Amino acid sequence: MSSEFLLEIGTEELPASFVTHALHSMKTSAIELLDQARLGSDALEVATLGTPRRLALRIRGLADRQPDRDETILGPPWGAAFDVDGSAKKAATGFAKKHGLRIEDLRKQTTDKGDYVSVRLLEPGEATSKVLAEILPRLCQQISFPKSMRWGPGEVAFGRPIHWIVSLFGSEIVEFDFANVQAGRATRGHRFLAPESFNLDEASQYVKALERAHVIVDLEDRKARMMDGLLAAAKSLGGVLEPDAFLADECVSLVEEPFTVPGGFDESFLELPDAVVISVMRDHQRYFAVRASEGGALLPAYLNVVNTAEDPATIAKGNDRVLRARLADGRFFVEEDRKAPLAGRLTKLESVVFQSKLGTMGAKVRRLQANARALASASGANADACEEAARLCKADLETLIVYEFPELQGEMGRWYALREGIDPTIADAIRDHYRPQGADDVVPDQTVGAVVAVADRIDTLVGCFGIGLVPSGSADPFALRRAALGIIRIALEGPIDVDLRALIAQAHGAYAGDAELGSADDVGSALDGFFRGRIRGMLKDPFGGDVVDACLGAWDGTSLRDLRSRIEAVSELRAAPEFEALAVAFKRAFNITKESERGPIDSSLLEAGAEAALAERFTTVRDKIREATGERRYAEALKLVAQELGAPIDRFFDEVFVMVDDPRVRDNRLRLLGEIADTVSDIAHFHQLGTKLQRRDPSVPA
Amino acid sequence: MTFQELILALERFWAERGCLIVQPYNSEVGAGTFNPHTFLRAIGPEPWNVAYVEPSRRPTDGRYGENPNRLQQFHQYQVILKPSPLDIQELYLESLRALGTDPQRHDIRFIEDDWESPTLGAWGLGWQVWLDGLEISQFTYFQQCGGIDCKPISGELTYGLERIAMYLQDVDDVYELQWAPGIRYGDLYKRAEWEWSTYNFEQADTELQKDLFAEYEKQVALLLGLSEKKGKGGVLLFDREPLERLALPAYDAVIKCSHYFNVLDARGAISVTERQRYIGRVRILARAVAESWYAQREALGFPLLETAVAAQ
Repeated sequence: MSSEFLLEIGTEELPASFVTHALHSMKTSAIELLDQARLGSDALEVATLGTPRRLALRIRGLADRQPDRDETILGPPWGAAFDVDGSAKKAATGFAKKHGLRIEDLRKQTTDKGDYVSVRLLEPGEATSKVLAEILPRLCQQISFPKSMRWGPGEVAFGRPIHWIVSLFGSEIVEFDFANVQAGRATRGHRFLAPESFNLDEASQYVKALERAHVIVDLEDRKARMMDGLLAAAKSLGGVLEPDAFLADECVSLVEEPFTVPGGFDESFLELPDAVVISVMRDHQRYFAVRASEGGALLPAYLNVVNTAEDPATIAKGNDRVLRARLADGRFFVEEDRKAPLAGRLTKLESVVFQSKLGTMGAKVRRLQANARALASASGANADACEEAARLCKADLETLIVYEFPELQGEMGRWYALREGIDPTIADAIRDHYRPQGADDVVPDQTVGAVVAVADRIDTLVGCFGIGLVPSGSADPFALRRAALGIIRIALEGPIDVDLRALIAQAHGAYAGDAELGSADDVGSALDGFFRGRIRGMLKDPFGGDVVDACLGAWDGTSLRDLRSRIEAVSELRAAPEFEALAVAFKRAFNITKESERGPIDSSLLEAGAEAALAERFTTVRDKIREATGERRYAEALKLVAQELGAPIDRFFDEVFVMVDDPRVRDNRLRLLGEIADTVSDIAHFHQLGTKLQRRDPSVPA
Repeated sequence: MTFQELILALERFWAERGCLIVQPYNSEVGAGTFNPHTFLRAIGPEPWNVAYVEPSRRPTDGRYGENPNRLQQFHQYQVILKPSPLDIQELYLESLRALGTDPQRHDIRFIEDDWESPTLGAWGLGWQVWLDGLEISQFTYFQQCGGIDCKPISGELTYGLERIAMYLQDVDDVYELQWAPGIRYGDLYKRAEWEWSTYNFEQADTELQKDLFAEYEKQVALLLGLSEKKGKGGVLLFDREPLERLALPAYDAVIKCSHYFNVLDARGAISVTERQRYIGRVRILARAVAESWYAQREALGFPLLETAVAAQ
């Protein structure tokens, strides 16, 4: 078995995000450098380990020696390198110099592209440890961090100051130095529990030796231990742990060996909203909350992940004191906030800037009210309730508690509203209008919340587009993409449909007197395009990009649910066996009639057989198809198309030649196909659908 | 340990480790960093080890003496070690031992906390230090000061004296701290907190503060000979040779500007956009002072470099 290689860089406490970032870049660079040094192979196992105080790299499966190099490298074409008389040109001397060779070492190699200069590079392999010694300083230099810093003399930049480096190949030290630190075999244990430096005899001892020194170097192992400790501690408090993946990742990166110290607070603080208690514990102190049961009431207790627990009572006492002060602050803010009603804060919003060209939050709220009322009327929702919810939805931004805990916006507005005796529907809407916050968040499930959520987002979208703040590339400072996706998701998953065109026009009109926006037409068409892009991005995965495009093509940019019905109907049809033939036929009908004029069909010109049969079928079902389309029963319309027109149109294309010489017959034929194509295109643009069969129509130029 | 014993213990500890013990600055500062013993000395190649108490004013943090943890004026203990020694964390932990706190018995953690002073054009990377969940210190490796890259790097340790004292004395209310035997913190500062809160939030004359800001801003330019024109790439231009400039009085004027800005901010007299503009105005002044200071030290041959060699 070959030796294991270990690199450990001991540092001062690295921030959580730095450790993951650095380990990732360390691994990538290591693999790259080993490959370049001919030491890469499939047998290599490259693993990273880390704590706040060390970044480690472990490589298994390294050969003891680098393989010899025997490589032929092609250079410039022979003719470009040598004159006919054989004297070397610049290209030849340059190539030779690049590889440290003489002109005499250059060979001619014949390839199927002609003669080329080549060199054969022979180099005996070195001992792996020697190669590593050359690579390692570069590897250390390449480790990247979200932010680097300098220290002491200020000559080297790294995530945090470096204190020691262990570099062992098997039991041998691979010597190098970096940042004025000489690599060796001495490592250090836990800062407080095993502070002395000690030597590692063998790279493979690393994990166990460090564990004895109170350092769990494997992040996953450390996390598993931490979670075990947390779950057990929650249980012994008679409750269950409030799960929090983000906090868990954060905590495991703050300790080298996790210990759990439980603590508690006065039960009276539980009168505060749960969200406040949890935010205080989590955001300020990084404590886990404990509930009586899953989803049950909070217990007046917390769990603290610490790095040392020699004296848990002292640690808990200190932490209890800090939490008490924090919760007392929270209580003070809530009590102060409750001295005035939510509506009393609206005047303050008049002096808060929404966006410098778009005016104040006060003005925004007035627009939201108008938008919400209009949207409510269109959706048959309670317009008064929607307008009132819109009026109050931003009021909590001026409360002390939201100033202190911005992530509680909406949540606290609801809480204060309920305590003021405001209708729970309105109170819920104050919270829900921020939903969905992201792809993983739910949409508002009640009408009022959904109305205000849409009213708010469209105001931001129209305003920003109206002053040219359009997202570009990755820059989207006003989260306009998320806002548009929110509206789409609310319409598709939530309780109200949205007529996008009417909504944009309403929101644009609401800005009158508040801000100078681009014209309604310009903003409308820019936003139409923007929404279509988002819809495509969001739905292409479940339904297929071509299905979404086909339906977007036929959609008029109004009702989002209408668009969804089209997409569902087309995608249902697409799964059916008759789809291929049908799609191919309608594509043909569309393509062949793209340029032709429409007009009444003269039945006297129809040829008996396939053409007359198609015309007869079509005239019989045409109105039914159009009626179903008009009433947005797209599945039914498509069923009619498939059942009634599928066979006749196939037969038509098999038996009838469209582009005959007689212009009257030809134009009549094109009018028939044109009307069929238009009727189907009202549902979805079949010509945009992908098909497996692409039968070429000989009468249509490619 | 009383509040004054805490200060004395830190003074002794850092004096024994080679720091100059100097005194607080005699103008209103928001933090020990503003003291020229830090802000100016962190610039340039000269070594510098210093420690001092700094009464620091944060007008917006005032609570009329009613909040047990928040004060508009509190005390920092500031230590600058330049260049930062490799054992700076151990030194810090030792200093906690000197205060009777055994790091073994507590949970001490270094939590990422980068520091930036937008008005001073200064920033650094480092931590806040937690003692059993309580933030007791800020620990910063200065990377830039007055817009100038620091080299060597200064390590800055800032102890929050009230917090540490509350911990050591086991009290929940800052006003209950024993400053000296028989004298509580509240006896000294409770009334002051109410008066200053009332002044900062309610009675400070905003027109006066704005005028003072503008006047001191002019002073900085005058004292340094700072030209209104800028050179290529925004380089600051001066009409005076480095040793003709009065960098120290100019820096005092910068501190004044920063303070009046803080009062205006507490008074709610500055809108969001104005706020950015004010900060930008102070930053450019701080930069002009920093560059002038550097140029002066350079013109003088960086005298403390020799002193350091001589001391060795």
